[in-house]
Parts: sequence; C-alpha cells; structure tokens
Amino acid sequence: MARPFAILRALALAYRRDWTAVQSLAGNNFFLITAFLLRQAGTFVYLIMGLVVLFPLSTDPLRKIPPSRLALWPLERRERWILRLASPWINPLTWGLAALAVWGAGRIVTVGMWAAVAGLFAAVFLLTAVPLPGGAGMWRRVPQFPGPLNQLVRKNLREILSTLDFCTALILSLAVLAYRVFGPALPPEALLAMTVLVVGAMSSYAQCLFGLDGEGGLSRYRLLPVRGWHLLLAKDAAFLAVVIALTLPLAVFPGIGAALVTLAVGHAPAVEHPRPQTRWRFSSGGALGNAAIQVIALAMTASAIFSTSAWFLAPAVAAWALSLGWYGREVERVLG
Amino acid sequence: MISCRNLTRRFGEFTAVDGLNLEVATGAICAFLGPNGAGKSTTVKMMTGLLAPSSGAVTVCGLNAAANPLELKRRIGVLPEDLGLFDDLTVEEHLLLTGDIYGVPRQQTRARTAQLLHALSLEHGRRTFAAACSHGMRKKTAFAMALLPNPQVLFLDEPFEAIDPVTAKIMRDLLQSVARHGVTVFLTSHILSMVERIAHQIVMIRKGAKVWDSAAGDLPQSLEDHYFDLVETPVVEELEWLGPSRS
Repeated sequence: MARPFAILRALALAYRRDWTAVQSLAGNNFFLITAFLLRQAGTFVYLIMGLVVLFPLSTDPLRKIPPSRLALWPLERRERWILRLASPWINPLTWGLAALAVWGAGRIVTVGMWAAVAGLFAAVFLLTAVPLPGGAGMWRRVPQFPGPLNQLVRKNLREILSTLDFCTALILSLAVLAYRVFGPALPPEALLAMTVLVVGAMSSYAQCLFGLDGEGGLSRYRLLPVRGWHLLLAKDAAFLAVVIALTLPLAVFPGIGAALVTLAVGHAPAVEHPRPQTRWRFSSGGALGNAAIQVIALAMTASAIFSTSAWFLAPAVAAWALSLGWYGREVERVLG
Repeated sequence: MISCRNLTRRFGEFTAVDGLNLEVATGAICAFLGPNGAGKSTTVKMMTGLLAPSSGAVTVCGLNAAANPLELKRRIGVLPEDLGLFDDLTVEEHLLLTGDIYGVPRQQTRARTAQLLHALSLEHGRRTFAAACSHGMRKKTAFAMALLPNPQVLFLDEPFEAIDPVTAKIMRDLLQSVARHGVTVFLTSHILSMVERIAHQIVMIRKGAKVWDSAAGDLPQSLEDHYFDLVETPVVEELEWLGPSRS
C-alpha cells in the first residue's frame, strides 16, 4: 500500500501546483469588468466563467503521470486499481460534486442541476483520460492568411484558441447570436454592451501576446530575419481575426476599434513584461493600472464608433500603428 | 568565412568566452568541442548575432555579427540548442514558414520542403504538431529549417545528440554534401566518433579559452585521447552497492 500512497502524495503535490485555472482569474480583465462594473448583474457572466473554468479543472489527475512512467513502476494489479479509484479524489471538484450530491439529497440543489454539473465533469474527465486520435484537431484547423507571415499568424491563432478567454468570448457571442435568431429584437445598445464584454473577455490576452510561445518559440523569433514589428503584427493580425469573427453577430466596427486600442495599450506589458501563460487557462495580464486603461479605452472607443460612425476607426488605427512601430523596436531590444 | 578576433564575453564577474581567436575557411566543417559550460553555446550565440560580445569582434560572411544581425540572419542557417520550434505549428508548416520569412519563392519552398521531408524521413510526420513530435523528429525539423534557405554558413549546436543512427548518418552525409558545395559548417558536439568522421577542422575550448585548433589530420593522437588529455579527463567512480548482492 505504500507505493500507491507515495504516488498519490506526489500527484496531489503536482495537482496543487497546477491549480492555476482559478488563480488565473485574478489578473484577468474580464473578471475585473464583471466584478467592478456589473456586480450582481454579472451573475450570468459568472456562470459562464464558472462553466469555462470547470473544463480544465475536470481533467483526470492520473494523466499527470506519463503513461510510460506509470507502466514502468513495479505496481501490482491491486495497487493500480487503488490508484485508479483514489486519484479522482485529488481533484477538489470531485469533493465539490460529492458535497452537492449530499445537499441535493436535502433538496437544496435539484437533481437536474447536480446531474448537469456532474455530467459536464464526467465528460471532460473521460475526454482527457482517453487519448483521442488526432488530439485537439478541431482547434488546430485554421485558415491560411496572405503574406509571408501566414504561418506565424496561424500559429498565433491556434494559441488564442487554446485560452479560456476565447472560450468565454465565444460563449457570449454565440449566446447573442442565438438570441438574435430565436428571440425578440434586441435594442442596439445591448449589442454595444455585448461587444464591449466580448472584446473585454479577450483583452487580457493582448497583455501577454508572447505568453504561449515558450522558450523554443522565443528562441526561434531571435533567429528569424524579420523586424520586431513583423512579429507583433503577426500577433495582432491573429487577435483581430478572432475579434472580427466573434463580433460579427454583434457590432463589428465598434469591436474592431475596441480591439485595436486593446492591442495598442496591451503591447507595453506584452513586450516589456512578458508573462508565461498556460493553455486552457484564463490569460493573466500585467498591472491593474494597465488593465484599467485598457478596459476604459476599449469601452470608450466602441461607444464612440457605435454612436458616431465607422470613421471613428481612424484614430484607433493610428494609435495601434503608433504602438506597433514603437513596441516593434522594443521587441527587438527585449529579444536581443 | 568565420573570423573571431579576441572574442570575449563576460556575465558579471564570470568570463564565459575569453579572448577567442579563430578562422574557419569557406566550405570547411569545423567542430567546436568542449565540456558542458565551456563557452561553446555562448560563442555560437555571438557568431550568429544573438549575443553581443563584451569585447573583440566576430565576422561571418564578411559581416560584423554584432553590427549587422539582421543581414547576417538572412545568410546563415542555425540549429539552436533548444531547437526553437513552435508547439502550434506542424513539421511541414515550420518549413513553409522558413521559406516565407527568408523570401524563398513559394514554388521553390514547396519543392525544397518535399525534398527535405523525404531526405530526413519526415514525410510520415509532416502534419504532426511540434508539441507531439519525438525529440528526433523535432531535431530533424529544426535541421531542415536551417538548410531550407540555402545558407552560406550553417551553425549547428549539438546536431547528432539524441538521434537514431540512421538519422545521424543522413545528417552527416547531408553536411558533407553541403560543405562540398561551399557551405561552411560550424558545429558543436559531444559525439567524438561522429566529429572524427566529418570535421575538417577541430577546435577545443576549456573554461572559455581555446586549447586546440588544427586541421583534423594534424591531431597527434586519436580525437578521443587528445580531448581527454587537453579538455577533461574522465574519472570513473566505483559504485559498490551496484550488483546482485544488493541490500
């Protein structure tokens, strides 16, 4: 019995260190927007964020051990069964579900709600426990872009698609799309508000554009015979492509304007204080001051374009171009 | 083709490379040998324009590496120590990216990509993402990226480490072939048997200082013996607890 317990202890330690899905919320703009601006009205948004966070937290803890290593350990069949049955309890969500089940028995939580949460948890648990052929192929299929930066833009797009920021923005966008198709007509101001929320959900990513490149990626950037602003442009193009797609059912021009100023403000922390990020987590941005400027700027730009005309995009484009040129030089300096 | 004059790099009090003088002729394969931490990678970084020297100068393809890093990068191919691959690009996409960035016409890029994938037995894994590749595949991908733009000089940091013998033979033959076509190859390696087979010039470094520089044919003894004499003598320690009568 000592062997499974030793493994479970190590697994618990590794799992605790990886408990970043919730921690990553702390430095996320979207969380700040909902916490400070929406307050109680943000319950719906919190629900979405809770569901999005549930996905990475529902993974099978035993997957943390490389299968080849697990196979090599001299464990008896009984000990492997103990590991299989005990390891899910390392995940605090399992305890949460058990608690919900107990409360459900006391009719505080409905059976339907418990089943929905447990079903989602079980689905993700099983999906991560069973290796799928081709991996996460659906997220990997991205379009081609014109120009020599094509492959870099595609890579950046794949990086964005592997963040929870995108998942949250996608749920918001799809929810509005569904409402517009099936529900009564929305007032135009609602579309503006949802556009600000969608770009806000994506805005923390603009503060950590190089966070998912890893050491290998940064090393390659140093070797490529391109200017710093080319690298930044490839990042921004991917970000804009995502925002345009997400704001198409909402208010696309205000969305583009908001995205441009989000990038213009986000370049500074992204380049000068690059923070490593983790896939399938919320992007964790830099200083609170920068986040506040970013959120205010994006909301003001979206409102200005929405209430005047698309010509108001011009100052947003100018601000972005200025930031691109300036921080492009900084990229070269930082990468060395 | 490569020229170092009193090349020195300090990190605070520590001197990683100390007054290195070196000449490598066009079309030569130069092996740069030394133990871990001797200053090999730092030297390669200075030669490829990634790190500015504290003093001295390095000239590659007639360009001062510190003054013209961008122009230099267009003329050289590099296999870095950490391979420099993106997790979110496939093997094939890495090569297409290289062609686009180095200004190789699209049709030529496709043709060269197909040839390199075939030559390095990477065809079956062309659509595999770098994150899912074996170390050997990743190394071959980075090697193919270094070759694709047809560089004047190749810098290879430990190219033969952690790859299978067949791949090592393919890479060795490719390097000999490109050297015959006038490409200069500068490589670091710990696999002395491989170095002995392909290198035209041997340079050894210890604690940042050059301790040997000659043509491969001018070595007074076998490369391994000479390396042990000049650079590092192996110490074998008995581990008495190993064996059948273990406790």
